[in-house]
Amino acid sequence: MTENSQATRPLLEVRALTCERADRLLFRDLEFSLDNGQALQVKGGNGSGKTTLLRIICGLNDSFAGEMYTRGEALAANWDAFHSGLLYIGHRVAVNHVLTPLENLRWSCRLHDPADDDGIREALDQMDLAGYEDSPCYSLSAGQQQRVSLARLLLSSAELWILDEPFTTLDVDGVALLENLVARHASDGGAVLITTHHKLALPRLRALTLGMTR
Amino acid sequence: MAGRWQWFHRLGSPKWFYEKTTRWLPWLVGAMALFLTVGIVWALLFLPPDYQQGHTSRILVVHVAVAGTSLSFFPLMAVAGTVTLVWRMKLADMVARNAAPLGAWFTFLTLATGSIWGSVSWGTWWEWTDSRLVSMLFQFFLLLGVISLRSAIENAETAARACALLSIVGCINVVIIKYSVDWWNTLHQPSSPISMEVGSPNGPEFWVATAVMIVAVYLFLAVSLILTTRNEIIQRENKAQWVRELVAQAR
Amino acid sequence: MNSPGNGAINRSGNSAINRAGAGAAFLATLKRDLLISVKRRNDILNPFMFFIIVVSLFPIGISPESAMLRQIAAGVVWIAVLLASMLSMDSLYRSDYEDGSLEQLLLSAQPLYLLVFAKNIAHWLVSGLPVILASPLLAYMLALPAEGYATLVLSLLLGTPVVGMLGSIAVALTVGLGSRGLILAVITVPMSVPVLIFGTLAVQNALAGGSPAGYLALLGAMLAASVGLAPVATAAALRITLN
Repeated sequence: MTENSQATRPLLEVRALTCERADRLLFRDLEFSLDNGQALQVKGGNGSGKTTLLRIICGLNDSFAGEMYTRGEALAANWDAFHSGLLYIGHRVAVNHVLTPLENLRWSCRLHDPADDDGIREALDQMDLAGYEDSPCYSLSAGQQQRVSLARLLLSSAELWILDEPFTTLDVDGVALLENLVARHASDGGAVLITTHHKLALPRLRALTLGMTR
Repeated sequence: MAGRWQWFHRLGSPKWFYEKTTRWLPWLVGAMALFLTVGIVWALLFLPPDYQQGHTSRILVVHVAVAGTSLSFFPLMAVAGTVTLVWRMKLADMVARNAAPLGAWFTFLTLATGSIWGSVSWGTWWEWTDSRLVSMLFQFFLLLGVISLRSAIENAETAARACALLSIVGCINVVIIKYSVDWWNTLHQPSSPISMEVGSPNGPEFWVATAVMIVAVYLFLAVSLILTTRNEIIQRENKAQWVRELVAQAR
Repeated sequence: MNSPGNGAINRSGNSAINRAGAGAAFLATLKRDLLISVKRRNDILNPFMFFIIVVSLFPIGISPESAMLRQIAAGVVWIAVLLASMLSMDSLYRSDYEDGSLEQLLLSAQPLYLLVFAKNIAHWLVSGLPVILASPLLAYMLALPAEGYATLVLSLLLGTPVVGMLGSIAVALTVGLGSRGLILAVITVPMSVPVLIFGTLAVQNALAGGSPAGYLALLGAMLAASVGLAPVATAAALRITLN
């Protein structure tokens, strides 16, 4: 691992990743890398293991064989450092129904970054949720709840975004908004790993298709 | 590099275990049969009746042996659980998985033989003032908990690790339960009409017979565990080449 | 529709410096869980009502004689507390599992056992504490002699967090299972036996004129051991079951 200096090693490198779930092979010998300034779209049909792949990279799922590196260091030994630069939004959006968007974000941001109420209000405003800050989330639509969780993108200092099907419940405006956010994060030097069935209008978007092994 | 996140089982390969035990089993079964026969025949026919308890003391030979063995289940499962969690060894989980129901059976047998013996010696089938029976009862409950957790979780991998963790917690807990029940018991002892002195027949011959029986029961435990684990190996590894060859040979 | 505009609020290079500390994450989790409990009062009220109802069954089922009741009072209160905590425990990680918050907890850069501990404290404050506050009243209805009250409350104060943290391990192991209610009790109740033993022995000793200090100290030792070990075990259990 020493042929390159640390700074030039990619943010995330995946080598020979194989995952079998309940005796069924999801993917075998997956190889890819993701570096700052890049966005990678993971494609594949239902049950091809997209969510599992994202959860493996986040460290939520460890039923796999293969190797993963961050900046040339084995990920397995660097979870804490990796997690502090990671923002994951799963398809369960981590929005509690009885809490308000403001209360939800106060907590979920605190797990990573300090956040003040003004910043959260501003982020909610940008997600087009102004006026909903103090309504309980059960009164919000699914798309609005998705926006609450996506507001974390604006509040986070994480380098790597991992987004699992973030577009499913969003309306046209929401899709454009998120595409914009992703594009800007990449051009600002961040990295994005995203699963979606949408055709993304992003420059320099790379794609990884699962389910080709069978 | 083989990190701890890697789900590969280089150590303790099921194939190795299967082949070794094929060679060991005849010896183990032979020894078990020998010790069981000697122990049972001696205890039932030749052991002189205890001067206080008469023939009832013969039950104790079995009871003490089974009780001693059933105490080893939680430590066994905790060790296997640690191996499962730290090294991800499939074999350890197969052993742990089969140990839980076996342990429940042994614990049940301990309770049953204890209460049969008690029905004659104490005049009652169940006696709360005997701390050994009470802590056995709670060990039985804890084992049932491990078994029901195993059956409730569908994903085999998750079930293996969840049960491993529960076995470790349970092992610590069984020790605490044992001491706290002992303590609780000594405080309630004065109110009990039954003297615990009756519980221990003496005489060197009784203890030798019991020792033979303990060895026999441990061998029985080993043979049962090996047989069930081999069974499990064949089921879980049914896609492996060597298992297919084995099945083909058997036909 | 707003454009993303001047967002990316905290995208500065000194992220290591303004990274929220473990203490802030701990407090935020504690606050959040308390807030959720206040907003979902039923989760607190139902176990509390259950506790009172269970206690009130004993005089009816056993005997209304105060001579009999005073003997069993401490045990009855303790057992009812155990059963009520089994009931309240179920909600500990359920909604967080369902809405994905638990995943965020696991991905926090802060130590998971610390956040789990915060959740345990919040849960005890809303489920354990009210029951303890009500226990003298119920003990009075069960004719517990006056010497027993202080010890009963103290033993509950020391013992209920232990039960809560043991239960937390079991909840973490069964989170996501459909029919986990009963498994939870099967796992947790036997593990709580030592707490029940020392809790009731403390009260009985106080009633007999002795000093309950020894038993309370043992409960305290169990509490200390649980604080040290249980959150770590719960964290490990959550990582296993969310896999």
